Amino acid sequence: MAAQRKTIKVDYLARVEGEGALHIDYDDSGIQEVKLKIFEPPRFFEALLAGRSYLEAPDITARICGICPVAYQMSAVHAMEDALGIKPTGALRELRRLLYCGEWIESHMLHISMLHASDFLGYPNAVAMAKDHPKVVKNALEIKKAGNALVRLIGGREVHPINVRVGGFYKAPSTNALLSLQQQLEAARSLAEQLVCWSATLPFPDYEWRGEDLYEFVALKHPEEYPMNEGRITSSRGLDISSQEYENHFVEEHVAYSTALHCTLKARGSYLVGPIARFNLNYEKLSPRVRQLAETLNFKAPCINPFQSILVRSLEVLYAFDEALRIIGDYVMPEEPHLHTKPRAASGYAATEAPRGLLYHRYDIDKTGKISAAKIVAPTSQNQKTIEDDLRLMLPRFMHFPEDKLRGLCERAIRNYDPCISCSTHFLQLHFNDGNAEKT
Amino acid sequence: MGMRKKPNPWLLVSLGNPLRSDDGVGPFLLQRLRQQLGHSVEYLESGGDILHLLARWKDRWVCLVDAMISDRHTVGEVISLDGLQDPLSPSLCSTSSHGFGLAEAITMGKLIDSLPIRLDIFAINSENLAKGEKLSPTVVKAALQAEQLIIAHLSAVSGGPQCTSRA
Repeated sequence: MAAQRKTIKVDYLARVEGEGALHIDYDDSGIQEVKLKIFEPPRFFEALLAGRSYLEAPDITARICGICPVAYQMSAVHAMEDALGIKPTGALRELRRLLYCGEWIESHMLHISMLHASDFLGYPNAVAMAKDHPKVVKNALEIKKAGNALVRLIGGREVHPINVRVGGFYKAPSTNALLSLQQQLEAARSLAEQLVCWSATLPFPDYEWRGEDLYEFVALKHPEEYPMNEGRITSSRGLDISSQEYENHFVEEHVAYSTALHCTLKARGSYLVGPIARFNLNYEKLSPRVRQLAETLNFKAPCINPFQSILVRSLEVLYAFDEALRIIGDYVMPEEPHLHTKPRAASGYAATEAPRGLLYHRYDIDKTGKISAAKIVAPTSQNQKTIEDDLRLMLPRFMHFPEDKLRGLCERAIRNYDPCISCSTHFLQLHFNDGNAEKT
Repeated sequence: MGMRKKPNPWLLVSLGNPLRSDDGVGPFLLQRLRQQLGHSVEYLESGGDILHLLARWKDRWVCLVDAMISDRHTVGEVISLDGLQDPLSPSLCSTSSHGFGLAEAITMGKLIDSLPIRLDIFAINSENLAKGEKLSPTVVKAALQAEQLIIAHLSAVSGGPQCTSRA
């Protein structure tokens, strides 16, 4: 007798950025099919870039996301600088890192306080959680405000910054302007420390990746720092490549049920990018104060429970404050806000660490600096298959749950990844059929 | 909209997306009021980051302009509300931070002690929120009417004229 087939359907995923659905078929023998359906329309950013000046790439790609525009700007400027053969150093390099600190704080705090924390305490949303935990939400907003202040000062405004350019910045902030943020950052750092301790007390579901279920973690690695703008692309299974080699190892493919491409490692399949991957591969590069706190809480790399991603994010927020305060303390305003740039026909490649994970850009430009081709691989595209795999692995352990609880757990598992669906649907791949052969 | 102690200056906030036709009436009005009121008022064009709004409006006197859609009012009608007293409709979208709307911000503000001292809302009932940069003629007419109402309101409530018109 055939096993009775059941379906879990979530028509509209809640508390994720963008529009997606979930479809899972299962029966007594196990999970038959998992589909993370992304139906948000594609947004054609790579096509929009074609024909535009190399100087416009950071501002155009920033529009892909209102939550992590800095990440798009950083990958774009690094890729363009790779094409031009220039490399900002010293204070310009540090300012970029400082800007990224601001974005990590903003983005992680939005996810922790507005989208994720309520999952662990049984509330339907952040407003309901705030009724019983007003101080947690209030502190979270104060922490986020400090991140906003950093992005506003360096980027010119909080959302879609306008001060980033190939070669550096349009205008560098004065030393005094940065020092004026110190007090606010120190106060917010103290709140962030409390947030880490609070996150560690949350009731995490008893689920861990072990043995063959352990994903391949992929993140940048830098010899001297926790990765943001620079480093080699490495993995927990020995991958160690430059950004130029990315497309030799990673491949994107269409699946019929999603408007976002799925990215996999050639011959190895799904992998994980994002805070947990960064943390696991770069734990020793966190600041001593952050490591000390993590160890006090008995929480060290590797983190193998995806539900603990909220704790990893809160540690990264704390690290971003340490790093921001260090950079501000050492800052000397550069003589020029940017390096001189001169276009040439070339290709440029870069990967940086967006809040949600590795963000790859590749551009081809002609001798006048016009972009002839662009490729962008967002973190959510890279994690999509892993999210599906995670549900496939996790669900058999919770099949005894009533259906509504099981559905809720599936949504929670997806939110562990903080997917940004709007980011993941930026692609353009057209299929032409002229009657003879299909061309792509 | 009773009198409460006013810290200067007013914070004038617009909500809405200028690339969504009539939804752009808030930013349109903000721009016009900026011309009329100059530095006597602070301005915030909010694209929808309600968390930012919560941080900015705390303990301020806030006048907020936005588009609304209601079949209980005619298109082009200007509705004034006390945001701290009158009920507002919750956001239709509850699925992401994008769906965290004004009503949710007020509720959250009450819970975490992050409310303005007063929140005077001028909403213009609109008809077209599709993609586009043009306001409907009826909505433009209403915006001009709202502009005068707001200037009079800010002046009256502040206890005297604050206009530094550069027109």
